Amino acid sequence: MEPILQGLLDLPGVSAAIVFDAAGAVVASCGRALYDRPLCEQVSGSLTKAVDAVRLQQEDWESITALFADGKFLLQNLATSTTRGHVLAVVADSTLNASFATVAIRVATNKLKRSIAGGTSEPGTGSSATGRPSGSGATPTAGFSPHPPASGSQPLPSDSKVLANTGVSWSKSSSSVGLSRVAVANPASAAFLGRCAKELARHVGPIAKVYVEESVRRVSPDAPFSLSAANPLVNDLAAQIEDPADRADFCKALEKP
Amino acid sequence: MLIPPLIAKLPEVKSAVVADLGGAVVEVLRERDGEGAAAVIGFLWSTAAEAGDHLGLGALRLVSYAGPARGAVVASAGSRLVAAFVEPTSSLSSVEKLLAGALERKEA
Repeated sequence: MEPILQGLLDLPGVSAAIVFDAAGAVVASCGRALYDRPLCEQVSGSLTKAVDAVRLQQEDWESITALFADGKFLLQNLATSTTRGHVLAVVADSTLNASFATVAIRVATNKLKRSIAGGTSEPGTGSSATGRPSGSGATPTAGFSPHPPASGSQPLPSDSKVLANTGVSWSKSSSSVGLSRVAVANPASAAFLGRCAKELARHVGPIAKVYVEESVRRVSPDAPFSLSAANPLVNDLAAQIEDPADRADFCKALEKP
Repeated sequence: MLIPPLIAKLPEVKSAVVADLGGAVVEVLRERDGEGAAAVIGFLWSTAAEAGDHLGLGALRLVSYAGPARGAVVASAGSRLVAAFVEPTSSLSSVEKLLAGALERKEA
């Protein structure tokens, strides 16, 4: 994988090229002197969260670009039919020739996909630009979500009730981005989801509603959500809170009837 | 109206959302789940800015993402984020330029 990343680094304006997995662990990296392994790991942690946010809106995303005052980064989805979660990040300064780079990045993306599909992408199996094994010292960074996101909205059973107005302005209508409908078994279950969203919002902000919907799809994928799945749901949601004390507060708040 | 009229009128812009930096919805245009979209773009913006801070890239100006059929552009206007959801993807770069230009003119 390194020769492919080195090829990107040879492009004028490119400062670093990193491949990281779904958990934010750096699989391979190549960069100028400043872009050492710890920095790449720090960056991949933030980028993983950005990717997971985009995935909530658009599961089939292919590229993400962020333009800054002094440069840009470009992310390419390296998912294939058999693998998912790997991302190529290219960091560049303002001298990057965008047209030329786009072609080169597309070629590199295809090569990396083939490399990953060939099974050479696991953290620790490759060597990094700093000469250390990829896995050494590479603590998988906590991502935005500990689980792969649900692959689109679950179809709603015809006899299920749709959660609406549980105190956090759940939308009554279906969403083009699949975020506003979850099926619930009864009003008590709907009320519980509302409480979960409110408690979670204290720690993560307005994104809490989205987390709850995604979590419901994970813990209750085939049936309307009911209180029997309350514990798995709370545990799943708690994983979204980074601070252990906040996580404990969240779980405690939802223990109360 | 915080969504630039020029952007709102474009047929390629299927929907648009204005959010604050915390991800709370401020204004919605043709987007059925404005709250969800606002929360996501707020979070996307903050994480992209965080990555840029680590990399020393300066202030974040614009984020865009694209898939096979559709994409989105997010730009900042002071303390607000304006997101335009675009279809088809091939129109993304032109919407990027128009949105950035419209917001710059608004701030000037």
